[in-house]
Amino acid sequence: MLVRPGEKVKIKVKVNGIWYEREVEPRKLLVHFLRDDLGLTGTKIGCDTSTCGACTVLMNGKSVKSCTLLAVQADGAEITTIEGGDGKLHAIQEAFKDNFALQCGYCTPGMIMQSYYLLSENPSPSEEEIREGLHGNICRCTGYQNIVKAVQDASRKLRA
Amino acid sequence: MTYVGKPIKRLYDDKFVTGKSTYGDDIQINSLYAGFVRSPYAHARIKSIDVSDALKVPGIVAVFTAKDLQVKEGIGIWTTYEDPKQWKFLPRRPLAEKEVKYVGDPVAIVIGTDKYNVRDAIDKVNVDYEKLPAVIKMEEALEDKVLVHEELKTNVAFDQTFNGGNVDEAFKNADRKIEVEVTNNRLIPNPMEPRGIISRYEGGFLTIWYSTQVPHTARAEFSRVLGIPASRIRVIMPDVGGAFGSKVNILPEDVAVVLSSIKLGRPVRWTATRSEEMISSEARHNTFKGEVAFKTDGTILGIRGELIVDMGAYLTYTSPIQPVIIPLMIPGPYKIQNISVRSRAVYTNTPPITMYRGASRPEATFIIERIMSNVADELGIDDVTIRERNMITNTPYVNPLGLKYDSGDYLGLLREGVKKLEYEKLKAWAKAMREKGRKVGVGMAFYLEMSGFGPWEFGEVRVTETGDVIVTTGGTPHGQGGETGIAQVVADELQIDIDRIKVIWGDTEVVASGMGTYGSRTAAAAASAAKVAATKVLEKMKRFAAKMLKVDVEEVKYSSGEFEANGRKVSWNEVAEFAYKSDEPGVFEQLILPGDVTYPYGVHIAVVEVDDYGIAKVSEYKAYDDIGVVINPALAEGQVHGGATQAVGQAILEEAIINEEGQLAVTYADYLIPTAVEAPKFESYFSEKPHASQYPSGAKGVGEAALIVGPAAIVRALEDATGKRFNHTPVRPEELIE
Repeated sequence: MLVRPGEKVKIKVKVNGIWYEREVEPRKLLVHFLRDDLGLTGTKIGCDTSTCGACTVLMNGKSVKSCTLLAVQADGAEITTIEGGDGKLHAIQEAFKDNFALQCGYCTPGMIMQSYYLLSENPSPSEEEIREGLHGNICRCTGYQNIVKAVQDASRKLRA
Repeated sequence: MTYVGKPIKRLYDDKFVTGKSTYGDDIQINSLYAGFVRSPYAHARIKSIDVSDALKVPGIVAVFTAKDLQVKEGIGIWTTYEDPKQWKFLPRRPLAEKEVKYVGDPVAIVIGTDKYNVRDAIDKVNVDYEKLPAVIKMEEALEDKVLVHEELKTNVAFDQTFNGGNVDEAFKNADRKIEVEVTNNRLIPNPMEPRGIISRYEGGFLTIWYSTQVPHTARAEFSRVLGIPASRIRVIMPDVGGAFGSKVNILPEDVAVVLSSIKLGRPVRWTATRSEEMISSEARHNTFKGEVAFKTDGTILGIRGELIVDMGAYLTYTSPIQPVIIPLMIPGPYKIQNISVRSRAVYTNTPPITMYRGASRPEATFIIERIMSNVADELGIDDVTIRERNMITNTPYVNPLGLKYDSGDYLGLLREGVKKLEYEKLKAWAKAMREKGRKVGVGMAFYLEMSGFGPWEFGEVRVTETGDVIVTTGGTPHGQGGETGIAQVVADELQIDIDRIKVIWGDTEVVASGMGTYGSRTAAAAASAAKVAATKVLEKMKRFAAKMLKVDVEEVKYSSGEFEANGRKVSWNEVAEFAYKSDEPGVFEQLILPGDVTYPYGVHIAVVEVDDYGIAKVSEYKAYDDIGVVINPALAEGQVHGGATQAVGQAILEEAIINEEGQLAVTYADYLIPTAVEAPKFESYFSEKPHASQYPSGAKGVGEAALIVGPAAIVRALEDATGKRFNHTPVRPEELIE
C-alpha cells in the first residue's frame, strides 16, 4: 500500500474491550494514538528511545512499549492499557498501594502493566526474576525494593 | 488512634495505579503545540534565521525568534536564597538573539496544530551560524581566553573566599598534611515526567499549567519577566512526575511558550522530549582542590583550598546556591575549626546547571568524607575511628563559617549506627571474600545535612459543615507522599479519622501563598504550618462547642471527636454543623509559619562487588538516620531507598559527558539510570531517640539524605573492594578493572 505524506490510513483496534476505528498518519506512534486520539492518558511517555517503559501496554496479551510500535501495526490487535480494569482494583494495583511501590506515580502504569505480563508468564517469580522482568521499566523515585515487594505480594494473592 | 510515627498508607494512590493521574501532558485542552529549534554549536553567532520553509509546513501557525518575543526583564535568580549583588550575570532571554552559547540553546519556537508537524517544521528552520571558539572545561574557562559572555568581560560569575578560624596557624601546628582533589561530575536529575507547560491567555488573565515544584515562586517570576501583575496570573501544578529540585528552575522555553500564547491569543503547550529534559536541568559538576592539616592521632586541624563550580552557559534560577553552600557545609559534623575555601563559579559553553536532590550538600559531604577517608588511609586508622576523633560532641554548635547546628548526638549515632548496620561484621566478611578472590568491598560515610530552609511556609485548615477537614498547604508534594504526612499531623492534632482529611496544594488561586517542596522541608515547614493552623481551628471549634453547651470556652474539654463540659457532650460533627448555621460560618485558620534550617544526620553503609569486567554492583545499602520526629516511617524509608538508588547512579553509572560537539548523553540509552537490576537491597532504620527540630512537627526532613551521603559510602566500598583510590564520581569500569 502506498501512502503519501499527509495521507492517513484507516485502522481498527480493540482497546480495553472496545473497537475503535480511526484514520491515522502511518508514522503515528501507538502511544500517541492511545493518548491523543483515544484520550487514554494513563499510558505515559518518559523517553524517546524505548528505554524507560512508562508506555508499556499489552498487545494481544504480550507486553509492548507502545512508543516502539506504530499505530498501524496495531491494526486488528487487542490492546490493554492501565485503564483496562473492571472498575475494581486488580491485586497488582492493590499491592502497589499496600507496599508503597510508587512515589511520583509516573512510571506506575507501565510498571503495573509489565508486572501483569510478568505474572501471567510466571505466576511465582523469584526476586531475581522480578528484577529481570522489570529491567525495561525505569523508576527514578522508589529504588525498586517496594515495587519488587508489591509484585511478590500480588503473586501470593493471585495464587491464593 | 494516632497517626504520627506509623506507616500510614498514602492517601491518593488510587488515581496513580488506575491511570487517572493527570500530569501536564495528560491535560486535554484545545491547544497548539510548541517545539524548539536548537543550536548545533557550543558557541556561534547567529547571522540569520529563515523561517519561510517552516511556515509552509501544513498546520504550522507561527515561528517566533528572539525579536518576536520581547520580555520586560530576563529570568533572574532565586532571591529568597541568593544575592544578585554577588553575581556577574545576564538575565536570560527566552530565545538566543545574537549568539548561541551551548549545544541545545533554543533559537526559535515553532508552533503548530499537531506535534508531528511541529517536528517537521523544526527541521525546516534555516539558521545561518558563524562558529565561534568555545570553552567547555571549567578549568580552562577560568583563564578567560574564550569568553562565554563578552559583555561580562570574564567567565568568573562568583568569587568569594570563606574563612573561619586561623588556617595558617593550623597548618603550622600540624604534624602532617596531604593534598586532596575531589570532583563531582555533571549529573542529570531526570524525573520520569519530562518538564512541560500549557499557557492560556484570555481577558487579560494568564493561566499556566506547569510541571513545577514552586507554583507561587513561578508566578512571581513570570510576573516580573512578563510585566503582568501576579494577581492576573494563575499557576496550576498538576500531578508532577518527580522533580528532585530540577523543577524549581524556570526555563527560557517556558517563557517562550507563555509569550507565544499571549501573542497568538490561543493556548500553547510544550512537553519536553527526554533529550530536551536532559539538557534542561543538569546538576553538580565541581572540583575542590586543597590540602588538609592534621595531627598523627587523626585530629584534623585545618582545610584550605579552592572550589570551582561549573555554571554552564547561563545562570539559572537555582544554580547560584551551590558555590555559596558547598563551602559552608564542608566542615560537616566535625569540629574542624580552621578553614579557608575560595569558591569560584564559572561560565562554560555547556547546558546550564540547576539543582538536584541535596544541591550543595552532596558535594560538601563528598568532599569532607573523602578527606576523612584520605586522612584515615594516610595514618592507617579505620573509617570509624577517624570520624570519632573529629566528631562534634555538643549541640547546638556553631561551625567556623557561622552555621548553627541545632540538635543531635552525632557521635552516639555513629556508634549506634555502625553496630546496628553490622559494619564491622560486613568488613570482616568482605575481607574473607577478597582472600577467596572476590572483589567485594564495604564502605561507610557519615553526613550532616542542612534542611528545612525557611523562611516560612503557609498552612490553612478548614472544617467543613459535615466535619470533614480540608488542609491547604504551601508545600507541593510531587511523589514524596508529603500530603499523607501532613494529614497524619493534622489528624492527630484534631483527633479525627485521617480519612476525613483532604490535602490540597499547588494552585496559586486556591493556596494563598507558599514556598513549596524542596530542600527536604515539607515534613518540617509545611506540616508544621498545617499543625499550628489545626491547633487554632480546634480552639475555634471549642468556642462553638461552648456556645452549644452554654458554658465558657475554658470549661470545654476536647477528646477524640467529642467536646465535653459539665458532663454534657457534643460531637465534632454537631459542632461543625452548628458553626455553619451560626452567624460566623466558615471554620478555618490560615497562617504563615516562619522557620529556619535544621540539621538531620546519619551513617550509611554500602556493600559492593566488582566483576572481572570492572562492572560494579552495589548489592546492599544500609542507612541509620536521625531525621527528627519520624511522621511516617514507610514514607521516610521510601526517600532513603530512592535517594540511595540515585547515589548508585552518581557513584558508578551517571555522567553527562560533554565535549565541543555537545552533550554526548541525551537519552536513557547513553545516560544510565539504575534499573531494578542495578538497584541494591535496602535496610533503613531511624534513630529510636531522635533529636527534634525547632519546627512544631519536630521533623527535620529526609528527602535528600541518601543522595547526600550515598556516593561517599559507595566510593569507599569500591576502594575497599579494589584497593584503588577514587576521589570523584562516577567511578567508571575502566578505572575499576585491573
